[in-house]
Amino acid sequence: MMFESSQFDGTGGFVSSLSSQSTDPSPTSAKSRDNQPMFPVTVKQIIEATPSTDDKSTFIIDGVDVYNVVTDVSFVIDDGTGRIGCKRWVNDSQDTKEVEGLMDGLYVRIHGHLKTFQGKKQLVVYAIRPVTDYNEIAHHFLECIHSHCCNSKLQRNGSAPNPASSVVSTPSVHQAVSSSQLSQEYNLDGLGSIDKMILDYLEQPSSLTQEKGIHRNEIAQKLKVPQEKILEAMESLESEGMVYSTIDEFHYKSTNA
Amino acid sequence: MDTSNPALFVNAELLRMHVGRRVRAVIQVLRSDGGGSVVGNSTDGQQLVIKGHPPGPLSTFVEVIGIADSNQSIRADIWNNFGDVLDTASYNVVCQLANGDYKHLFI
Repeated sequence: MMFESSQFDGTGGFVSSLSSQSTDPSPTSAKSRDNQPMFPVTVKQIIEATPSTDDKSTFIIDGVDVYNVVTDVSFVIDDGTGRIGCKRWVNDSQDTKEVEGLMDGLYVRIHGHLKTFQGKKQLVVYAIRPVTDYNEIAHHFLECIHSHCCNSKLQRNGSAPNPASSVVSTPSVHQAVSSSQLSQEYNLDGLGSIDKMILDYLEQPSSLTQEKGIHRNEIAQKLKVPQEKILEAMESLESEGMVYSTIDEFHYKSTNA
Repeated sequence: MDTSNPALFVNAELLRMHVGRRVRAVIQVLRSDGGGSVVGNSTDGQQLVIKGHPPGPLSTFVEVIGIADSNQSIRADIWNNFGDVLDTASYNVVCQLANGDYKHLFI
C-alpha cells in the first residue's frame, strides 16, 4: 500500500518525497491525479499508523480479495500482513468493468485513500486491477521495504518532522520531508545518462517555472531520445523519487525544485 | 480491519522456524502425488511437501498458504497459481527480509 505524507506535516509545506507509483492501474489514458506522493505499504503498516487530523493518504496495496459484497462494492483484502475493508464507488461503466472481474481469492492491485470512519480504518479505492504478473507480489513488498528504509533514513537524518506526526512506534511511513533535504539524500551515481539528461532538463529554470510540469513528449523531442527510452527513464526516476507526475501521468517535474 | 490470520513469508529454511504457524510460500511444482499432496521446490531450492487438495490444475509456480506442519511440509488451504514464469530469487529475498530486519512491517 502507499501513503501520501501530506496529512502528517503540521507545518503544511513539503514537496513530494518518494513520488507516485509508476504503474497506472487504470486502462484509460491520462486520468488526472492530485499532485500527491504515494507510498507502498503493507496492511500491517496501515493498521499501526497513527491516525492524524485529516486523513487523506493515498496508497497502493497488493492483496487477495477475500469476499465481495455486491451492493456498493465493498470488499476485504488480505495481503498476508493483515486485512482491511475497502470500498469502491462505482460511478461509470469503466468503474463497473473494473469491479466486475473481482472474485474471492483474486490478487489485485489497489490505489486509493485511507479513511477513518467511526474509528475504523478503511480504504476508499479509486482504482483496482487484477494482478497478471505475479512478480508484482514480490516487487510490491520490496517496494514497501525500500520506501520504509528511505523514510526512516530521512527521519534519522533530522529532516524537520512535525513532533505530532512522528510517533516513534510506527514505521516511519508518515514522516514529512522537505524536498531540499531529500535531494541531498539521493546520490545520482546510480542513474543512467538518459536519466541525468532528463533531470537536467527538468531542472532548468524554464522547466521549473512550469507549474504543471513538462509533458514527456516534449522531453523526448527536446532531448532527441526515443519515446520508449524516456518512458523507461521516467518510471525509474519516479520510483527513485527524483521526479513526480503532476496533472496527469504524462507531465513530470523534478522533485529537486 | 485487523491483523488476524497473517501468513509469514517462508522458504524451506525459514519454514522450520515457524512450524505450527500460518505461512505462505511459493513453490515450483515437481510432481503431484494425486493422493492429496504436491511436491515442489521452495524458492531457496529445497523440496517441500504441500498437503491438501489443489482447487484445479496447477501452474509451474504456485503460492500456497496454510499451516506449517513440519520442517518440510505445509498443510495448505489456499493455492494460488503464479503462472509459469516467476523470479523466485526476488520472492526469496522478500522471505528473508520479512523475517529479518523488516519483520515489523509484516507481522
